[in-house]
Amino acid sequence: MNSGLKLVTLRQWSRHKLRLSLTVLGIALGVAVFFAVRTTNRTLVDSLNSTIEKLAGKATLQIAAGDEGFPADVLKTVKATNGVELAEPVTETIANTLQPANEKLLVLGLDVGSDLKLYSDLFEEGDMAIKNPLAFTSRADSIAVTRKFADRLSLQDGDTLRLQTLTGEKTFTVRGVFKSEGSGEIFDGDVAVMDIAAAQSAFGKTGKLDRIDVKNSAYVSIDKLAADLRNQLPTGIKVVRPNLRGQALENAVSSMHFGLTIMSFLALTICIFIIFNSFSISLNQRWKEIGILRAIGVDRGGIMRMFLSEAVVLGVVGSLLGIAGGALLARAAIIVVSRVTATFYGVVTSGKAFSIDYVFALQAVGIGIGASILAAWLPARAASHLRPVLALTNIETRQKEFGLNKARIIIGVGFVIAGLLLVRYSRAEVGMNIQMFYFVFVQLGMILLLPMFIRLGSKVLRPVLGKLFGIEGIIAVETMAAAPRRTVSTVGALMIGLSFVIAHAGFIKSQKAALDHSLDKTLGADFVLSSSNQLNNRTYHFSEATAERIAALPEATATDVISVSAVELDGEEVSLLSHRMDAFFAMSPDLLDYGDTASARAAAARGEGALISNNLSLRANLNVGDHIRIDSPAGTLDLPIVGMFDYFRSEKGTIFIDRELYKKYWNDSRVDYVFINVKPGTDRATFKQKIQDTIVGEQAFVYTHEEFKAWASRLIDQFFALTYLQMVIAILVAAIGLVNTMVISVSERRRELGIFRAIGGLRRQVAKMVMLEAVAIGLIGLFTGVITGLFSAYFLVNTAAKVVAGFTINLVFPYSITLMAIPLVLAVAALSAFFPAFNAARIRIAEAIGYE
Amino acid sequence: MDRIIRFAGVTKRYETEDRVVAIDSVDLEISRGERVAIMGPSGSGKSTLLNLISGLDEPTSGTVYFEDRPLSEMNDNELTLMRRKKIGLIFQTFNLLPTLTATENVSLPLRLDGMRRRTANARAVELLTRVGLNERLTHRPDELSGGERQRIAIARSLVFNPPVLLADEPTGNLDSHTGADIVELLDQLHDEFQTTVVLVTHNSSAAEHCERRFTMLDGKIVSSNE
Repeated sequence: MNSGLKLVTLRQWSRHKLRLSLTVLGIALGVAVFFAVRTTNRTLVDSLNSTIEKLAGKATLQIAAGDEGFPADVLKTVKATNGVELAEPVTETIANTLQPANEKLLVLGLDVGSDLKLYSDLFEEGDMAIKNPLAFTSRADSIAVTRKFADRLSLQDGDTLRLQTLTGEKTFTVRGVFKSEGSGEIFDGDVAVMDIAAAQSAFGKTGKLDRIDVKNSAYVSIDKLAADLRNQLPTGIKVVRPNLRGQALENAVSSMHFGLTIMSFLALTICIFIIFNSFSISLNQRWKEIGILRAIGVDRGGIMRMFLSEAVVLGVVGSLLGIAGGALLARAAIIVVSRVTATFYGVVTSGKAFSIDYVFALQAVGIGIGASILAAWLPARAASHLRPVLALTNIETRQKEFGLNKARIIIGVGFVIAGLLLVRYSRAEVGMNIQMFYFVFVQLGMILLLPMFIRLGSKVLRPVLGKLFGIEGIIAVETMAAAPRRTVSTVGALMIGLSFVIAHAGFIKSQKAALDHSLDKTLGADFVLSSSNQLNNRTYHFSEATAERIAALPEATATDVISVSAVELDGEEVSLLSHRMDAFFAMSPDLLDYGDTASARAAAARGEGALISNNLSLRANLNVGDHIRIDSPAGTLDLPIVGMFDYFRSEKGTIFIDRELYKKYWNDSRVDYVFINVKPGTDRATFKQKIQDTIVGEQAFVYTHEEFKAWASRLIDQFFALTYLQMVIAILVAAIGLVNTMVISVSERRRELGIFRAIGGLRRQVAKMVMLEAVAIGLIGLFTGVITGLFSAYFLVNTAAKVVAGFTINLVFPYSITLMAIPLVLAVAALSAFFPAFNAARIRIAEAIGYE
Repeated sequence: MDRIIRFAGVTKRYETEDRVVAIDSVDLEISRGERVAIMGPSGSGKSTLLNLISGLDEPTSGTVYFEDRPLSEMNDNELTLMRRKKIGLIFQTFNLLPTLTATENVSLPLRLDGMRRRTANARAVELLTRVGLNERLTHRPDELSGGERQRIAIARSLVFNPPVLLADEPTGNLDSHTGADIVELLDQLHDEFQTTVVLVTHNSSAAEHCERRFTMLDGKIVSSNE
């Protein structure tokens, strides 16, 4: 930029510090959310991978079979395989501590008697390691913990540690402390090691292993060894490189990543509006200055370069601040996301690990600058095309701002209709990347239609505010309508922010309604006993004996015993639920959406058929009558699909088989849920207490039918915890847009407000006028936000839910959030306008009238 | 004639680096119904004098009286109501609200005072007709010529039939012919409403229409025709 123009820019900035700050803040917020969401995603994935890698130690291959593990005698086969240099058996259990309560501790069961060469990094801490290896292995209560964990809980060698185990609460004795590096680094150091025999016994894994870590010998390649092992082991047991296990977990949480990514782009859209707003208003404020510059010989290119250079500088500063803010935001988001992954996917990550990815940081700076240039482009172009003679005259002779034109309306309506039709009729197979464009079409269409909505809105609001608030109301609406450039960008920011809130509220409400409906059909039981208060629990299970004790209660008329595990189907981890099929159908007679109930019940109960969820049907293109092949540790199960119904446990799909069949093929009798029906007239509270008395000492959660539904609804809220946080940020960003507009509006209209005061306008009338303008903008933003939000919710329900998870759900209008949004938006508008209004009321009239 | 405006030892200083004295110990009395012209070069303090009369600005020392009441005793609301009802302001740059029509601009002070829209508009139409703009009632300022805009400003200044009209270079932005028309209009209105007119102007022929004429220099009244 020319040094003269640089001077002009610097003087402008020093004179309009507030406008400058708000612009930078807008960029910073947009970049912060974008950077935070991407960092959160990346940290989560890194954490998953690093967990797997660190747990693997120096292993080059891992043998695993899902949550339920596999028989321990597989170890013999592995060790006997040519090319295996080392093979270490491992159990992994995430246990809850009892003091302090509910802290998660990853307990690794290792063959401590061996020399643990694969984990040599783990046990090197000078002379500290395990003081008495013999005592450690010979006593079943021995446990070693990381130095970090020991310090945090003030544990010393010989101290006791109480944990929840399958057979109730147990007390362990700390007989070793190891360093918090390598494996000890994962879960933020909340790691313990036990001898594998003791761990198997304590956590109900007798005779089973969760994995075997293998190191190939130098003369056999990893791939060759993997192939040999696969040939020797049953199909349900997987042989993979450690990093591929991480990828599988990453895949499991992909839909959450998708949601987060959409959010980051929405934040950026709002940010673009704020920057556009700031630059548009800057143009309005500098009208005369531009006229003078043009008059003294600055060409159009010079004006354009001046504005765009400002955009670049502000983009850089805003982006750098955004990265700093985003890093803070990411720290909070990672904790929320870690909770979600633990609750819904049974995948525990550290939740605290955080590092700045410099590539992301550079990308975020690039995007911040790009967004700034994009947003500044139109105002810069308008500035460069200003006619100097008009710009130099008074405010009354300014060129009229752009208004409505038919082409714009037609294109806008066209985009909206095209987007909605595509959402409605396009097939899921086209994929999410293309389907995202439908969403973009609708948003773009609505943005193009904003001037029309503002004009219509002002026609409606003018008499209403005039009637309610007198001339101040009319002037407020007129002022808003007379500056479409300023108003459009603010209404746009509000619209996008609110549409995000309404869309997600609608989506969440629709999901809850669908889940409610599904639970009504699939959960006919009066009571539910659960081993966990999380959806996917890999830490604690009941024994079958516990289930039998419940079934033996005199009030119980029927019990269904369920285990939850996962199997791999076409590379995806699908939920596998085993039920007592007869009891399942008896309790939920209206279970099936597809398939004949009587024959499905008979086939499934005999172990000769499987039921699947509708989303698995859609994802894997499976229907009633097709066969499904399920890999198990005892070989592949080939079952006909005999029924299908809506079930929302897993976004990858769910398979239901009979419990006896499951026990036979997976050699797993663990229990996760017991569904219980009771005799009519049984007192609920008394029976609930009776269940709790029966299973005293176990980690158990007892719900009535209604309580279970409420718990499921709360789970959805938990899943969307980050979305709720994002909703708040969206409103915050939109509010900043509104504050920006009102501050700038007051600054821009200083002279006008001065005239108003000079001819007899009272201070409170000026303040009222400014507040009412904000309210009018807020109301139009709300209206357009609700419409766009509904379109977006329609997209999420029809496209995102179906494509990502195969869920078919009906859109439910979020009345409560919409109604709540009205006072919220009015309050935000009033608050945003409060200080601008206050300042406007105290304007120095003589100066304002002479203001240039 | 009874006195309507009085300056008693009024000084207005602006606390800038140069400590500008805009008005320097001015004593002045203006009677009801008088036409007073204030002349002088740019920066001599003419506009500041008008701002002090209308309460838009406050003196650094001394007292400004309006209808024998010191403005310093009035709070902001009282000053605003005084401007609304008792003082009509006419500016060189017209100072109309660009988003309002001619009628709305003129009726605005009435509506600010709580008058119903229909009544206020009727009064505005009456005044716009009086200043010759009955064909321009629904036009916005950017659709009108400079002379027409100044007529709207004059009509607006008269809506409350104020006892005082303060006109700051009302012909400054107009061509000589239109300027003469505006001065003629002010004369007619003075005759019709017996309004006190304080006219700040560079235009000596406009000043000729006033009975009293002062010349200001460096914040002081240095000459008058009395």
